[in-house]
Amino acid sequence: MHEGQSKEYYVYSPWLRIFHWLMVGSVVILFATGLYIGNPFFAASRGSEPAFGPLAMNNIRYVHFAAAYVLVFAFILRVYGFAVNKGDRLLPKFWTALYWRGLVDTTLHYLFLRSAHEPYLRNSLARSSYLAVYVLLAVEAITGFAMYTMVNPNGLGAKFFGPVNSLLGGEYTVHIVHHCVAWLIVLFAIVHVYMAIRADFMEREGEVSSMFSGVKFYAHEPADIGDIADDNGTTCPAADRAGHRQHTAQG
Amino acid sequence: MKRIVVDPVTRIEGHLRVELKIDEATGKVEDALSSGTAWRGIELILKDRDPRDAWAFVQRICGVCTTVHALASLRSVEDALGIEIPKNANYMRNIMNATQIAQDHLVHFYHLHALDWVSPVEALKADPAATAALQNTVLDKYALPLAGPMDFSFDAYPKDFPKATTAYYKAVQAKVKQIVDSGQLGIFAAHWWDHPDYQLLPPEVHLMAVGHYLNMLDRQRELVGSHVVFGGKNPHPHYIVGGMPCAISMNDMNAPVNSERLAVVDQSIMLAINLVNYFYLPDLLAIGHLYVQKGYVDGGGLAKERVLGYGDFPDEPYSGTSNGDFHKKLLLRCNGVVENFGKGLDAAVYHDLSGKDYADPAIIAEGVEHSWYTYPQAGKDLHPFEGVTDQKYTGPKEGTKTAWKYLDEAGKYSWLKTPKWRGKMAEVGPLARYIIVYTKVKKGVIQPTWAEKMVVDQIEAVSKVLGLPPAVWMPTMVGRTAVRGLEAQLNAYINKYYFDKLIKNIRAGDTTVANTAKWDPAAWPKDAKGVGLHEAPRGALGHWVNIKGGKIANYQAVVPTTWNGCPRDDKAGHGAYEASMIDTKVKVADKPLEILKTIHSFDPCIACATHLYDVAGKEVGVVHTDPYFKV
Amino acid sequence: MDHCHSLWGLFQSRGLSRRSFLKTCAAVAGLLGLPPAMLPEVVAAAEKKTLPPVIWLHGHECTGCDESFIRSQSPLASDVVLTMISLEYSDTLSAAAGEPLEHHLQELMKKYAGQYILAVEGGVPLADEGVHCMVGGRTFLAALKEAAAGAAAIVEYGSCAAWGGIQAAKPNPTKSVAVSDVISGKPIVKVPGCPPIPEVMTAVVMHFALFGQLPPLDGQGRPKQFYGNRIHDTCYRRPFFDAGMFVEKFDDAGAKAGWCLYKVGCRGPVAYNSCGNMRWWNGLSYPIQSGAPCFACGSPNFWDNGPFYERLPDVPLPGTIADADKVGMVAAGVAAAGVVVHGALSAVQKNKQSKQQDTIVRGPEA
Repeated sequence: MHEGQSKEYYVYSPWLRIFHWLMVGSVVILFATGLYIGNPFFAASRGSEPAFGPLAMNNIRYVHFAAAYVLVFAFILRVYGFAVNKGDRLLPKFWTALYWRGLVDTTLHYLFLRSAHEPYLRNSLARSSYLAVYVLLAVEAITGFAMYTMVNPNGLGAKFFGPVNSLLGGEYTVHIVHHCVAWLIVLFAIVHVYMAIRADFMEREGEVSSMFSGVKFYAHEPADIGDIADDNGTTCPAADRAGHRQHTAQG
Repeated sequence: MKRIVVDPVTRIEGHLRVELKIDEATGKVEDALSSGTAWRGIELILKDRDPRDAWAFVQRICGVCTTVHALASLRSVEDALGIEIPKNANYMRNIMNATQIAQDHLVHFYHLHALDWVSPVEALKADPAATAALQNTVLDKYALPLAGPMDFSFDAYPKDFPKATTAYYKAVQAKVKQIVDSGQLGIFAAHWWDHPDYQLLPPEVHLMAVGHYLNMLDRQRELVGSHVVFGGKNPHPHYIVGGMPCAISMNDMNAPVNSERLAVVDQSIMLAINLVNYFYLPDLLAIGHLYVQKGYVDGGGLAKERVLGYGDFPDEPYSGTSNGDFHKKLLLRCNGVVENFGKGLDAAVYHDLSGKDYADPAIIAEGVEHSWYTYPQAGKDLHPFEGVTDQKYTGPKEGTKTAWKYLDEAGKYSWLKTPKWRGKMAEVGPLARYIIVYTKVKKGVIQPTWAEKMVVDQIEAVSKVLGLPPAVWMPTMVGRTAVRGLEAQLNAYINKYYFDKLIKNIRAGDTTVANTAKWDPAAWPKDAKGVGLHEAPRGALGHWVNIKGGKIANYQAVVPTTWNGCPRDDKAGHGAYEASMIDTKVKVADKPLEILKTIHSFDPCIACATHLYDVAGKEVGVVHTDPYFKV
Repeated sequence: MDHCHSLWGLFQSRGLSRRSFLKTCAAVAGLLGLPPAMLPEVVAAAEKKTLPPVIWLHGHECTGCDESFIRSQSPLASDVVLTMISLEYSDTLSAAAGEPLEHHLQELMKKYAGQYILAVEGGVPLADEGVHCMVGGRTFLAALKEAAAGAAAIVEYGSCAAWGGIQAAKPNPTKSVAVSDVISGKPIVKVPGCPPIPEVMTAVVMHFALFGQLPPLDGQGRPKQFYGNRIHDTCYRRPFFDAGMFVEKFDDAGAKAGWCLYKVGCRGPVAYNSCGNMRWWNGLSYPIQSGAPCFACGSPNFWDNGPFYERLPDVPLPGTIADADKVGMVAAGVAAAGVVVHGALSAVQKNKQSKQQDTIVRGPEA
């Protein structure tokens, strides 16, 4: 595609982008502090004054809980973006033929059985994995609050989240679920970062930069353009919206 | 001939049923069967678990003898992995063990056994003033002034002592009267209080014993101090493989064991000595003496023929059981088998049982002829290391699978297996231990330790009181109960002895309580087998474990109540329960109180006996009616 | 349980005099058409206070709960069984045995139908119609169902009755379950623990004796007074957790100093029980205070949450001992390696494509 010109498509709202980076930051902090809480492998303040140990368990936990609140409330941005911008709604549409076709197409490509896949705003595999991550994050939030709120068993939080502990057959299981799901999120993150960079390299669609600018580039119209098309059925490249900007894909 | 069923047998641990064929004319028991009627399968549950956790699982086999399975399990795992525990841990475990025996025996006598002898109804007829006088007489006449070594004794005066005042017995009697009058008899309801045996003792003995029943119900809790300090709780105190979790420090304010904690243990130990010396033994000897005087020397059964023990109280840490070191270091060397003690000391024969014997299939094996299991090779008994379980519930002789009338003594009738020593049945328990130690000392097999000497002294003192030789009074129902009391006294002092050793060792600067060199499974052999031996309150207890790849591959326990309460064997005859019941005379066929006495004299612990079976990678062959049930 | 108080008790509780009580008795005698000579009997009957009858059944259990019950310091066991309740049926304490006791049980269930308290210790085996636990010649399951039908309330003493307990641990050979899994439609109080703390067991009775009602329960049916908080949140060693001061292995300097047992597997963070505040032996100690990590013995399924001395369970991979963190690290490593390989292959593919495009000059969709 080095010979063709790429069109700009405005996809992601600022709300989603801010959310994304808040999520990245909080998940990194949550995972690091969480691992420490699960297994305090270095005894930070042994031999020193307990109350002032900078890496003391209570401080680590404090950071963990603070990051958890940031992540949970960041979802407000995500939901708002979802409401106002079609590009933020690129979740799997299981009921469409396009989704299933795309799934096969992308999978074959990733298995090196097809040299390239069709251009998508978001391919079916990516859409599914993002939804899965939201589910995993929800599990983390629910199990996290189930443990967190039970410090006051008669409080409102415990009334709401406490039953999760008995539903899962005891709080030990809740700990283990919380712990294992955290690892699944990390595995996702590894693959996700790789896929984003790879896509940039393979397809030159601005995959990485889109999470800063909100804009992706396509030489050919993406197959799922309908998801962000105007109601009248016309496509809406970013260039049309912006009115005066033209951009040439790097090659 | 009448067939009588007693089910449930109460005032025991677990679910036990006995059936008797009684000749009504003579009161002779022609045949008797005992059946453990529940089975939990804990050994199957143990498979593939971390051997460091095993003690906690098997501890839940029984909550009455709460610490014994934990101890046997720890010993078996430590034997398999080659772990020698530190001195302090050895002393602490011995203290917890002796505490358990003293406390358990006391509770057994007052709360599980006493109501076979005394009745609250008879107590109403007593004169409180005469009861107070009787209390004084009993204390004078039936004290057994023997003691073990005591290096530290801070007990200024007996902290609890029987009340011998008229007003006290009036108050107790008034409470009993109120209960009887209320019509709500509670735990005293529906018993055979009109049985003629309750007339054997004067009313004052009944009132005194009822008073002590209540007093001891509230005092027994204070005897378990060592369990709560060293193990955090009772029942079911905590241990760890390699020693004890309770670190000792006199330099840290928050240490699990410090001077104050040791004082709690000491006080608890001293209280046990007091309660045994001033309540338990005098009451026991007074009642036992009256019974023996009236000719009650039956209920001996198998004890006359064969008793078995493993030995216990390693005086110092030992390097292993299978290599024989365990048996070299014991304070109480009741390991061995004594045959024909009932024919007198001279006729008695002693057989050694130590070291490698415990891994020898020719010496210890279990059969399932009348148990609800089958073996791959019919008629061939299996050693615990090679045990197999193939469950085969056959139901009763009369009645249905879930509603029994009579069990089938000709077929299978119990969840207990039948353990054997060289193909023969044997009785275990306090009586067995005392017979073995007495025989070994008297025959010069061993030079007695202080504890073994005390055993002999106790037996001779009681023989003097009763005016009968040991071979006559010991292997009887009364003897079994009496020896348990003697053993409570012995263990109260063993408790003190090890407490003193613990103090002296700490004083010498040793505060180590755990050997953690092999805590990490990476340090374990790929395939290891171990034996853990222990003398539990109810008798010889052995655990056999096989550890493969860091996990339990096979676990087997042969417990005291399996030895005693097992079903019969066509070649070897009856187990101890059955043999002793057959050796008991019953006055009123419908109210076999004598049978309750005889069974209770063993202190049955059926949960121990029936929740165990072998696992050799075989699944249980239960016939499941529920299609969703998965083993 | 008003019916458990006598008429005289009622008068006393209302502050009425003995004189007015006797007058009422006379009036009752008159109403019943009894001769004046019968008055003393009427007075005696009205004075008699009925204790709540208790039936205590044993299923698949170890009797550790009975033992714990009689270890109670306040109230003392004798006071409980003689003055607070009337313990009419108990395998452990009842004098009677066999048929007379079973007969007594039948009579009692008839006489006090809908009024007695049923205490249950032990799990309920269901496999093979319940033949793995027979009591009095019938299954415990049948005995339990019969006794539960007429009970005013049921107390599940211990983790076996409350959750199924040790025999319900994998693979649960006897298919044991909790009492509440086979009984419904009755108020059920769960008092879990292996065993429960003695004073917690008797306090449930004490609460009833003092206030005439069952104690307030949490969502799982446990008395809030005793199972509201985690041991971790009430533990005297919590400050060491917060400070990051841990026992690294048994008998080390931290163990002697009494630091937090979290790293040797303590289940305090998931255990709801009164060990941290009430402790055992009337406040003397509890496992953590004695240096032993908590097993969370009052929690459902705690037997299957092993190994007890590790924070994370073994992942059942054949021939290995691994926990979630180890598996996670390996998975992350495999993912990273996979990514590198995939990236390299992608680069090769891309390179090949570019060359093809250079010669054929066609779009990638071709």
